[in-house]
Amino acid sequence: MQGTDKNAMNYSDEPLFDETDAGNTPDARTNPAVRDRIRTLIDEQPYAVLCVGGGGQPYGALVAFAFSEDMRHAVFVTPVATRKYRLLSECDHVALVIDNRSNKGGELMEVEAVTVTGRSHVIERGSEFDRWSGLLVARHTYLKSFVEATTCKLFRVDVVRCLHVARFQEVNQWIPASHS
Amino acid sequence: MDSREPLLIPLDACGQWDEKFVGGKAAKLGKLVRAGFEVPRGFCLTTRAYEAFVKDAGITPAIRMELGRKSMDDMRWEEIWDTALRLRAKFLSQPLSGLLREAVTEGLRGLNADASLAVRSSAIGEDSAGRSFAGLHESIIGVSGRQAVEDAVRLVWASLWSDAALLYRKELGLDPTLSRMAVLVQELVDADCSGVAFARDPRDMRMERAIVESVPGPCSLLVDGLVDPDRWELDRKTHAIITWLPGQRDNAQHDAPLLEPCDLEQILKTLLSVERLFGWSPDMEWTGKSDSLTVLQARPITTAVPDQDKKRTWYLSLRPGDARLKALRERVVERLIPELEALGQVLAAEELDLLDDRQLAEAVETRSAAVARWKKIYWDEFIPFAHGVRRLATYYNDAVQSEDPYEFVGLLRNQPLVATQRNDAIARLGRQLAANDSLRSALERLLAEYAGALHWSTFRGELIGMADGADDFVRGFDDLNERFLDVAYDQARLHDQPEPMLRHLVELSRARGQSSNDVAMAGVHVEALEMRLLDAVGPERRDEALDMIETGRISWKLRDDDNLLVGRLESQLLRGLEVAAKRLRDLGRLTGKGHPDGSHAKTIIRALREPSNATMRFEGSVKDPGAGLSCTPPGETPRQLIGQPASPGVATGAVRCIRGCVDLGRFQQGEILVCDAIQPTMTHLVLLASAIIERRGGMLIHGAIIARETGIPCVNGVRQAAEILKNGDLVTVDGHLGIVTVGAAEFDLEMGVEYT
Repeated sequence: MQGTDKNAMNYSDEPLFDETDAGNTPDARTNPAVRDRIRTLIDEQPYAVLCVGGGGQPYGALVAFAFSEDMRHAVFVTPVATRKYRLLSECDHVALVIDNRSNKGGELMEVEAVTVTGRSHVIERGSEFDRWSGLLVARHTYLKSFVEATTCKLFRVDVVRCLHVARFQEVNQWIPASHS
Repeated sequence: MDSREPLLIPLDACGQWDEKFVGGKAAKLGKLVRAGFEVPRGFCLTTRAYEAFVKDAGITPAIRMELGRKSMDDMRWEEIWDTALRLRAKFLSQPLSGLLREAVTEGLRGLNADASLAVRSSAIGEDSAGRSFAGLHESIIGVSGRQAVEDAVRLVWASLWSDAALLYRKELGLDPTLSRMAVLVQELVDADCSGVAFARDPRDMRMERAIVESVPGPCSLLVDGLVDPDRWELDRKTHAIITWLPGQRDNAQHDAPLLEPCDLEQILKTLLSVERLFGWSPDMEWTGKSDSLTVLQARPITTAVPDQDKKRTWYLSLRPGDARLKALRERVVERLIPELEALGQVLAAEELDLLDDRQLAEAVETRSAAVARWKKIYWDEFIPFAHGVRRLATYYNDAVQSEDPYEFVGLLRNQPLVATQRNDAIARLGRQLAANDSLRSALERLLAEYAGALHWSTFRGELIGMADGADDFVRGFDDLNERFLDVAYDQARLHDQPEPMLRHLVELSRARGQSSNDVAMAGVHVEALEMRLLDAVGPERRDEALDMIETGRISWKLRDDDNLLVGRLESQLLRGLEVAAKRLRDLGRLTGKGHPDGSHAKTIIRALREPSNATMRFEGSVKDPGAGLSCTPPGETPRQLIGQPASPGVATGAVRCIRGCVDLGRFQQGEILVCDAIQPTMTHLVLLASAIIERRGGMLIHGAIIARETGIPCVNGVRQAAEILKNGDLVTVDGHLGIVTVGAAEFDLEMGVEYT
């Protein structure tokens, strides 16, 4: 390619600063894989905005979450008397928005966010329940009694795709292997 | 911000204030005034004034947005320059608040009302022994009147974010929320002699020697490197003159030193006094002789090692002052370009087949040396001269203070570029085909028949016999080929590869009458912009402004033409190598399907000169330039790519990546042109494109300018654009925002996935 092939007869293109040798591209140095950036973000942030759309009415609510190691699943818990539970019962298509803004203003270019889309379903008490509730409680110990309450339901989101946003407008998509 | 901290401090009081309020330069000069040294009168607008201005004008968020848009490590200097230009325009477009204007008025009240003034940066920590950032920030001399001082102050503040400063952002610790700049306003002292003096030799600080340099006139002539100084070495202890080296000045008296021994004695005494006052050995700028010796600036001698970043130092050398630009313009226009053009013609006229082996070796050697020489000239002289466009940009913006920092680009329109003449010739042939269906059909049939193996000499003969008007078309194509396609691109001669151009002409003829982009100069008239600039500078500076416009235009034209003209030399080198390679192949001394390029020149010359039976082998290339290059990990795809908004508008279409000669013939109307960098060799494709995306960034590069002229959107500076995007990808190019959206906003996956 021009600009990277030292023998290319293209001299109209002056060098990129900090561009060193082939193989050490600016992209590799300054842009870790999108998957890793998403992983970092979800590890750092305890809460997500859960977006649901049942009943023709969009609705959002803050939830404490945890992701599985392979990032193919997320879990959260909600009481059954809530709006979000009602809407989740009507439509299992959900999105989770997770970001690292500090709300101090002027930080737009430094904020990273990920929008996770997927399908949600209730994990009933039984063999799988301990595994998924354990994942959530391990991260949010204060939710132990909440998770165990009979008036709460544990939801697992099967992740379909993650859209990672950085620098205000730079968007990359990551799709777990099972869907790509 | 503490409201008790003043906006303005008289220079003689600056020494009592911390550098973080008045900056290094003002603090040191303030101490010198208090100690009784002669220093021009002045005042300092403190860093608090800067803070107040950026707060009132809302500039800090703009800086954060500009600097956060892309990683600076991914930006080329042209993008960094653009960033600095936009920030400069932001500073210039905002007026000073009432309080700040009052402060300036109060400061000026203490100075001579008729005095010509110097407005200089006084940045925090810019002058220390460990580092020197001299020249990164602006100093403006010869300013008079309150409004001019206010303009100059804003320019100096803006230079905190100059392209040069941004290149040193890490060393300077530049931070949009923390960095500040004080400004020093001083009376200019009119003296017939000025200079720089070092209390110790910067090359070896252990030696008991001081250095004095002097030029006739103001010190800026020396600091800007415009006049060669007289230079003395003095003994610090005995004050004796050790050496005197006269400067190389055209009309100076070379046999008479600029300074008398008594003048040197005064300078050395002052140097040593300053050294005692501060406790470090100074590097001092001064003006005036003996009793009228005035200190302009004093800072520690820098002992830092020179910048090891060669690209950065090279770039910083690329900002020729007006005098150097003028000299370059004269040399480039009157000597270099005519010489380059003539050389290309001479080489093209040479009948290489008639030469014997030894003569052919010499011809190849001559061509190889010519390419090397002109590439060096390209880097050493053409690129610095190309900065004439950037000089015009700052000149225009400073005078007109337009909200659009790129308004000046309109002044560059309608220049008779070589590429424009070629594109006109291509368009004429396209029209010829569009008006003659039988000719176009015949051409298409022949192209299908000879796909990938087209030899023009046979092809043209067949075409002439197939349709009326074909002979005219063929003659036109021959003319195009000889005049404009004798250039190298992708390590091949376009001249020898007529197929891509013929295919392009067919596509162009189909597009005619539809929406192909004609280079229409709609919008702002060139004359109107010229008038705007001339009105802004006033009658006194009319000639200067016209000269600046002319230099900018020549510089812009050169930036396009030089590539094609040097490309012609390369094409002629390739021609020589091909003739030699064929001869060696016929003798069985060269095997393999590869074509020779510049790197084979020495081997081929040696083979021609030393007849032997040894055989060489050039392997053929197996690359398919049209294939997409994936560089993203599995499962990851870009959705929105960020670049620079280089030409406004929005367009959606299929991607066509241009990576080599073959791609030039594959481009179809309405496609999105994606490439690493638009070269003058491919600007004709823009006539068919609905938008442009390129990796190389900048508002003044070929792709950006031609996109604006044709009215199609362009986003450039998109990291790895030609690697990430693949032929056929659906993209939307938003030239207003500098965003490329890949694919449609669909939820197909979400709809298709069921509970597992």
